[in-house]
Amino acid sequence: MENILADPVVLELIGSAAVILLMVGVAAILGFRIAARLDEDELKRLAAAEGAWVQDFVIAPDKRRALARLTDGKLMIARVMGLDTSIRIVAPGAVRLKLRPGRLELAFADIGYPPLHMRLKDQPAWLAELASGGN
Amino acid sequence: MANPLDPPFDIPPIITYAVPGFVLLIIIEMIVVRLTKKGRYDFADSATSLSMGFGNRVFGVLFGGLAIAAYYWVYQFRLFDLGWTIPVMVACFFAEDLAYYWFHRIAHERRWFWASHIIHHSSQHYNLTTALRQTWTGTLGLSFIFWLPLVYIGFPPLMVLMFSAISLVYQFWIHTETIGRMGPLEWVMNTPSHHRVHHATNPKYLDANYAGVLIIWDRLFGTFVAEDDKEQIHYGIISQLGTFNPLRVAFHEWIGMFRDVRNAKSFREVLGYTFGPPGWSPDGSRKTSASIKRAWAERQQQQPSAIAAE
Repeated sequence: MENILADPVVLELIGSAAVILLMVGVAAILGFRIAARLDEDELKRLAAAEGAWVQDFVIAPDKRRALARLTDGKLMIARVMGLDTSIRIVAPGAVRLKLRPGRLELAFADIGYPPLHMRLKDQPAWLAELASGGN
Repeated sequence: MANPLDPPFDIPPIITYAVPGFVLLIIIEMIVVRLTKKGRYDFADSATSLSMGFGNRVFGVLFGGLAIAAYYWVYQFRLFDLGWTIPVMVACFFAEDLAYYWFHRIAHERRWFWASHIIHHSSQHYNLTTALRQTWTGTLGLSFIFWLPLVYIGFPPLMVLMFSAISLVYQFWIHTETIGRMGPLEWVMNTPSHHRVHHATNPKYLDANYAGVLIIWDRLFGTFVAEDDKEQIHYGIISQLGTFNPLRVAFHEWIGMFRDVRNAKSFREVLGYTFGPPGWSPDGSRKTSASIKRAWAERQQQQPSAIAAE
């Protein structure tokens, strides 16, 4: 253990990790933890920015995730990323959708995009139809 | 007698020495953003960026020797014996910056290199922590090949490495929204304004301002775009990641590329998925920078006629 700590590279890495914790701590203290929230207007705005229109939607109770069906049949997934929102518009065939009681799980063909897990207050008919393979 | 090919001075660990400055400037920028609301910080985003910087250092320790070994191997076949003189160092500074420009441009235009570089662009924020959101796979992805011509010409490998490190340190401070325009410096230097354009996803800003230290290369090769105060910048990548998980950030494009290659139906498709522009697909169904810019230009042309019709 002593020998490892005498290695300047290991020391540098330990120091770097400590400094990262310090900076993240300062960011937290300064209040940079405010997250965006999703609502119907925001979903419509996000879709419009991509030249699309929202037909149906569900928003998680914490307002940090949402799934919308667009008028052209595609799906729009929205997630809060800090102050920003990240969206993806995909064809229904590019997602695997599982509907459980009070919960929705989506996995994507694009593995770069993490699966979406969200709670649901209610399950609209269009979502059940989508989960069963209908459009 | 000293070998003229050896450096006449001890080269300090430039990046290591710069780290305390990085930390101080990040904390100052956080405070400025808090007080002035100019620029944006997010706790989770910054934690991811800093973790990526840490991972970059770890991968550098593990694999950095590969690039250095390649430099010295090519240096055996050098065309000229360029020693450590002032004129050679000045020439090396410009040559390194030119090599960086082409590395950076191709890293945006070819998916193989983009798979490593995308990491740096994956934040939807733009602040000094974004500068530290660095690749883990750059050396393994052979990014260093763009500097091999310099050592082949005869610039000593340590000189090239020294100017690469200086370039990296220079590029740290330009990742900020807290600094506006910088007067005549904008003509020759890469500045925060120029680099904000480079990090933007707005169609008019895509594939622009690849400079490292000097913006002259973009002006020379036709990739310069000035920041437009009327256009609000959106940062990140075309398909925003939707995750703060460092492992996904580091490897998602590589995995996507290998998956595409595995499903390719011909050798042409393999080449297209690997060395084509990011977003290339055989049927053109995915978005590339070129297709996004084309669609944007068409919309721009339609808008004035629509206004005139009204």
